[in-house]
Amino acid sequence: MAMFLPSGLTPDEVGFLCEAEEVTVIPRQRLEGLELLGGPTHALNPPFPTPLPLWLALLLKKQRRANISPPPWLSAEALTHILDFETDERTAEVLSPAPALPRATSTAPLEGDPYLSLDSLEFSAPFAKNAATSRAQQDALPYHWLELGHLLLTHASDDFDDPDTIRKLLRDLREVRMSKLRKGFKVLGPGAGIKMNGVGGMEIAEVRGFVEGMVNGLRKINRSREESRKEREAEDRENGLGSGSYQDDEDENML
Amino acid sequence: MAYYNPESILTDAQKAPCTFELAVPGLAPLNNGSAIEHGTKLDLPLWMAEMLAVSKPAGPSSTSLVSLDMPPALGPRVLNALSADPKSVELRAQAQWFYGLGERMLDLFEEEKTVELLIDTFKQRALEIADKSQNTRSTQQGGDSGDFMGGLDEMERQLFRAAHDGSNAVKKWFESSSRS
Repeated sequence: MAMFLPSGLTPDEVGFLCEAEEVTVIPRQRLEGLELLGGPTHALNPPFPTPLPLWLALLLKKQRRANISPPPWLSAEALTHILDFETDERTAEVLSPAPALPRATSTAPLEGDPYLSLDSLEFSAPFAKNAATSRAQQDALPYHWLELGHLLLTHASDDFDDPDTIRKLLRDLREVRMSKLRKGFKVLGPGAGIKMNGVGGMEIAEVRGFVEGMVNGLRKINRSREESRKEREAEDRENGLGSGSYQDDEDENML
Repeated sequence: MAYYNPESILTDAQKAPCTFELAVPGLAPLNNGSAIEHGTKLDLPLWMAEMLAVSKPAGPSSTSLVSLDMPPALGPRVLNALSADPKSVELRAQAQWFYGLGERMLDLFEEEKTVELLIDTFKQRALEIADKSQNTRSTQQGGDSGDFMGGLDEMERQLFRAAHDGSNAVKKWFESSSRS
């Protein structure tokens, strides 16, 4: 129904978040570092490559004040390699893996350790550093690969050696991965999960509505069975098969 | 089951066949004004049928007021057809809220097999819906898949819409982000 906000992020929101990813920019003009809400940006000093948020990089690109150097995975060679992995029969069940996470820096919390101190924070998929800069891992698609590839190819296509090939490869990748995801839906059930390692943000946003509807539907149908199962378990417990501690609690309450 | 949820209200308004076990003079308006005797058969909406089926006016040991039967939508004929080929059955022709009806009835009758069958049906049809939602043009033009889409119950229609909206929103983002 139109009254409710959709749950989760919509594709628009995912696209917006993608613009916060950092890309490597080769400036043509000087620019002092800017004090932005998201933190200060690096000063631009031509011709030294500098990491900048994608939205700012695109803005400067449109004003012809900078060039964007595409991340290493967004090259014909790397994408062909990933596409080979996706279309290989031996890996027909899984998506190509996400970039490797930086090594864990934290240790098990010791006594007196400040909770959530900066060095105990670990980065995971959407927040991994350097996913789109020239230091990105070459053989893996980062979380925002589809959005980022699309934005760079439409607004900075002259920074690529061969934008048409890359565009074609991206489209192929998208289709292959989408059909893999769809095949994965078969395992969905009232209690079952689905493994989606390496999935991208836009891909999740695309299938979220369907998966949600399907799992909710299955749960609804399964409800009566689930309830009778719970009743049976409760009966078993009452007959003394269950854990003793549970009954102890009840006794205490009665006293 | 939310109280102000039109879907659950409409689900509850679907009818199930009931047989009265007692003569109930006061409920004559239900039967178009003629008296309700022992053994009268009536199709009553689920919400009323359920209350009548569990109420025992003559004390806890007596029989209940009505006995409830499975509606024809969940009868053996439909269930057999579903187990043969889930995709060929027009669920909408059976009941507008087929799965909702199934859920409510299975609350009252515990039938593991039917639950299993409904889950399997929903799953297989949902996968078909996911495929069809990618290609709406051919579904609107009818033909092979037109029959399938026409036979979706309301829950499946919502699923179709969700799947379609998802890919549509992505398409829209691609278009809008290319423009500016």
